[in-house]
Amino acid sequence: MNFLGYKRLDGKVGVRNHVLIIPSVACANEICNAIALKMKGTVSIPHQHGCAQLAFDAEQTARTLIGVGKNPNVAAVLVIGLGCEVVNSSMVASKIAESGKPVKNLVIQEAGGSPKTIKEGIKIAKALVSYASKLKREKAKPDSLILGVECGGSDACSGLAANPALGVTSDLLIKEGGTIILSETTESIGAEHILARRAINKKVREKIFEIIKRTEMRALNLGLDIGKANPAPGNYEGGITTLEEKSLGCVMKGGSTKVMGVVEYSEIPTKKGLVLMDTPGHDAESMTGLIAGGTQIIAFTTGRGNPLGSPIAPVIKIASNSYLYSKMKDNMDINAGEIVTGKKTIQEVGESIYREVFRVANGKLTKSEICGHREFAINRIGPSF
Amino acid sequence: MSKAIKNLILCHPKDNVATASSPLNTGTLLSLTEQKTIVAKEQIPFGHKIALQKIRKGGPVIKYGERIGRTIREIKPGEWVHIHNVVGERGRGKGRKKG
Repeated sequence: MNFLGYKRLDGKVGVRNHVLIIPSVACANEICNAIALKMKGTVSIPHQHGCAQLAFDAEQTARTLIGVGKNPNVAAVLVIGLGCEVVNSSMVASKIAESGKPVKNLVIQEAGGSPKTIKEGIKIAKALVSYASKLKREKAKPDSLILGVECGGSDACSGLAANPALGVTSDLLIKEGGTIILSETTESIGAEHILARRAINKKVREKIFEIIKRTEMRALNLGLDIGKANPAPGNYEGGITTLEEKSLGCVMKGGSTKVMGVVEYSEIPTKKGLVLMDTPGHDAESMTGLIAGGTQIIAFTTGRGNPLGSPIAPVIKIASNSYLYSKMKDNMDINAGEIVTGKKTIQEVGESIYREVFRVANGKLTKSEICGHREFAINRIGPSF
Repeated sequence: MSKAIKNLILCHPKDNVATASSPLNTGTLLSLTEQKTIVAKEQIPFGHKIALQKIRKGGPVIKYGERIGRTIREIKPGEWVHIHNVVGERGRGKGRKKG
């Protein structure tokens, strides 16, 4: 299935056309918010990071901000820094500019404070929005799509209905040459052998075991029980008993094809097909990693009811049970609950999610977009200093 | 692939638990095959698991044809299988529950 998207200079295709305002450090958050509030077509991504971070953490924050800026759903970018931060705004801006899109940079200490930066930022945003508004949607092939698959607020029906249905969608998109990113390493613990069995080669197989071990050891070395944080209380209430049970349901979202590669958090994959990204089970952090990795659309299954969205990617919400679908209809796009009651098959729902992915790629707004959900959270590895 | 039986979903032929596709009252008779029936020994909420056979203390709980944890006491057929009688075995440091 083809779709109409925004062709970018780097050859990638966007399904949205945002002007992104990026604070390179938390100190610039309110200034970015003030500009985004004023200027139609812009979106800001406030976050807590960018300074007082150890090298590996600063590198991850920078990689995330650069990746989100490069995302094909973004037409143009304004990066704002303070001037003395670790994650330097001009470095972030110049890396994003490698994609060929218009990128501007402002530094608060150079501009002379908040009101002056906001004033200058509004002027720049006006020009960028004007540029973006002239871009037109053009015919694009499905192999230019990267679909992120995510689950949050799972219940027992997630693994029985919504996740296997999304797995069908994943297989269909991969058959058309597209890419699926399966994330949430924590929620693959106990199901890694299933993914490893499907690894394309030894290197990928070893990498799968490596990211699982790394995540599991992080808890074990702290002497902690992951089960106190994941599964979450609502997962237990929904019938999930152990992390292994949750994981076995979780990995079904990726479908049944070979695992072509494993990427780090926020890393842009170079392989097409099914790719794993090492993200935590925290949904806002995981989805931020996905959009930094170039994901244009996220398909998100939920059993308990999760409203999260993304500042630049439409998020399609798939309810695992009919009770949730009717209760939170304002947040849910698709009902997979009819699988549980036997009214529909996994294949049928998977195909309807697939069709919805293309409607959304063509511009149909998802419930998360209509409700204004723009959650953005960068995964943090170490403490602040 | 999972199999839907009236009121239950069995994910894999190897499984020793099934999922309630509607809330089960104590005493509900469930037909697994023409020959094999099971009676719900207690209330089982929607989406929760029921034991299809006796599982010994420390024995594996199998769903999706895979091990999802182990029991902390013997579980009889028809009993509710959840966090009160099963523990996970992965990602659990010293803060874990005994069992």
